Amino acid sequence: MNTLFLQFLLILFFLSVVFLHTAKRNYWTIFLYGLQSLIVTILLVLSFLETGAIAALLMAGLILVVKVIIAPLFFFRLMKKYSLKFLVSTYINIPLTFIIITILTVVAHSSVFLPLTTIVSTNHFYLSVILATLFISLFLIINRKGVLSQITGVLSLENSIVAFAFFSWLEQSLALQIGIIFDIFVWIIITTIFMSMLYKHFKSFDVTRMEELKD
Amino acid sequence: MEFIIIFTIILLSALFCLVLKNRRLIEAISVAAFLAVFVLTVLVAIKVSLFGVYTPNKYFSLDSLGAILVLLISLVGLMAVIYSVKYLRVETAKQIIGFTRVKQFFIFLNLFSLAMFFAVSSSSPIFAWISVEATTLSTAFLISFYNKPSAMEAAWKYLIINSVGLLLAFFGTLLYFTSIKISGGFGFVTWNDLLANIQNMDPAIAKIAFVFILIGYGTKVGLAPMHTWLPDAHSKAPVPISALLSGVLLNVAFFMILKFKVFNDLVVGPAFSQKLLIAFGLLSIFVAVFIIIGQKNYKRLLAYSSIENMGILALGFGFGGLAIFAAILHMIYHSLIKSALFLSAGNIFLKYSSTKIHNIRGAFTALPLTSIIFVAGFLAITGAPPFGILFTKIIILSAGLKSFLFVSIVALFLTAVLFIGFFKQVTNIMFGQKPIEMPVEKEKFWLIAPPLTLILIALVLSFYIPPFVYNLITSAAANY
Repeated sequence: MNTLFLQFLLILFFLSVVFLHTAKRNYWTIFLYGLQSLIVTILLVLSFLETGAIAALLMAGLILVVKVIIAPLFFFRLMKKYSLKFLVSTYINIPLTFIIITILTVVAHSSVFLPLTTIVSTNHFYLSVILATLFISLFLIINRKGVLSQITGVLSLENSIVAFAFFSWLEQSLALQIGIIFDIFVWIIITTIFMSMLYKHFKSFDVTRMEELKD
Repeated sequence: MEFIIIFTIILLSALFCLVLKNRRLIEAISVAAFLAVFVLTVLVAIKVSLFGVYTPNKYFSLDSLGAILVLLISLVGLMAVIYSVKYLRVETAKQIIGFTRVKQFFIFLNLFSLAMFFAVSSSSPIFAWISVEATTLSTAFLISFYNKPSAMEAAWKYLIINSVGLLLAFFGTLLYFTSIKISGGFGFVTWNDLLANIQNMDPAIAKIAFVFILIGYGTKVGLAPMHTWLPDAHSKAPVPISALLSGVLLNVAFFMILKFKVFNDLVVGPAFSQKLLIAFGLLSIFVAVFIIIGQKNYKRLLAYSSIENMGILALGFGFGGLAIFAAILHMIYHSLIKSALFLSAGNIFLKYSSTKIHNIRGAFTALPLTSIIFVAGFLAITGAPPFGILFTKIIILSAGLKSFLFVSIVALFLTAVLFIGFFKQVTNIMFGQKPIEMPVEKEKFWLIAPPLTLILIALVLSFYIPPFVYNLITSAAANY
């Protein structure tokens, strides 16, 4: 595979997660998630072009349909239905968020995680960057107060794991991959339904409004 | 063959619930399905007891601990579904729910059970993961069943926290596949394939992988500090679902951790997983005990008790040796007793229409039979004689005295505090003057029989364990 092109894709992938932290508009968040999923699709298509494995092409097609087309479409429609343009803010301010993102990136590149990032020694750089995106996605779920951001955080975490499996050559058999993507598809449907139900009850997508249950 | 029949029965039951419009038929089919499944699981468990592992084909395999769990799923499931029929009828009569909700309840209950059966019996770790994730998806709607803001909040927390946890568990699972990659490519990789190749795994990767597994599936188990979703979800779901969530699902998730613990112990030795399990176990007991003391809601009280008991299990499997045997027994007792407690808590809710402890007074006068079951359940779950949990707690803690003296003493102290805290709450509920306007009515048989049966089974098992169950426990203790 063309190394420069792969690096370009990976940097885009990384930046998409970073910008999810700073996004202020719902549409921008959905676009960034769609872009991230598109990168995963392209990676699988590249794998097909190199190995000729039909399974990779099939998975690329499925990811394209579920994560690049259907999921963003669901979210767009929901935002339109409730006329919501702006995202709910973060718990931590933007400068501090960037400091934490930097720390997480350094941790992912540290010797602690060297056993993971050298699973395929030639892909050390790629795996380090993806591990960083995994941590930053986790941070996104914790840091954002908005329901949509939490969902994109979970989906971004899942994309990071798929990308990690790709670069560490740990992809599963086609049947299991289909099972996983089906699972994600159902998850997207259910969370979209829940978003709608939450809005009806709380008139907001702000999770800090949910404070009925405390000990 | 039995597996196919079990899965088909539950799937058909879910489908019938979906298409039928007759409530009585939906109820009858669900009860009949769970009854048939229970009989079949007993047959399967006997086979496992005789032959060690039951592998009908390459996609499914059941070991001794899996067989114990399958028995628990079907038994608690059967009791929960029998209880649900009457419970939901009373709620319908009170106009809390309508027919559509009842239909949804039985559909998701069937799917939830199916997912648990798949998770335990699947021979593939990835398929098992998909099934555990399916339990989250199928129960999310059951937790939000009453469609109130608090229920929505509980369901949302449950969905997000468990999804994150399970993704981390998925990442950990993938890392275990590095052992196979070194020795050849992937096909349909089973637990046994992983076991056969596990020596190829890099110990450093194994350690990181196990941490992801423990945090990931530990979230689903409700181990502190990832437990925050559990009291909300278990207290907001309808009680038959709470019984299944607390009594069975937590054990299914724990089973996943134990599967990977075996691999991890082979690669890096048992000390690593022991320390982690003990740390998470002790923290869980600590958190649960201190919240139970000041708890104001009796369903949340039971949920925190589940966290405490999962902590005890973690200690048992962490200490090793005889404690593992006791931990498996503890798993069985907890499953039966906690389910009975939740079901009897359902009776209290139906009578008082509140889950707040300060609203419940004089339950002994208002609901004598339910109160006897609830008090028996309280005594059993806190480890009072003659129930078996006394025996399992003593064995687990004494097994830890030799190598983990401090942990054992702290855990012993905490369980004593728990008894006092729990006792205070139960006496508040049971005694005092019941509301004058509340009539004393004969308690409904079908709301008493299921929890009573579960408590009686737990009591009998405290003195006598059928030989095939004993074989399963000893075999599971040897393997884990």
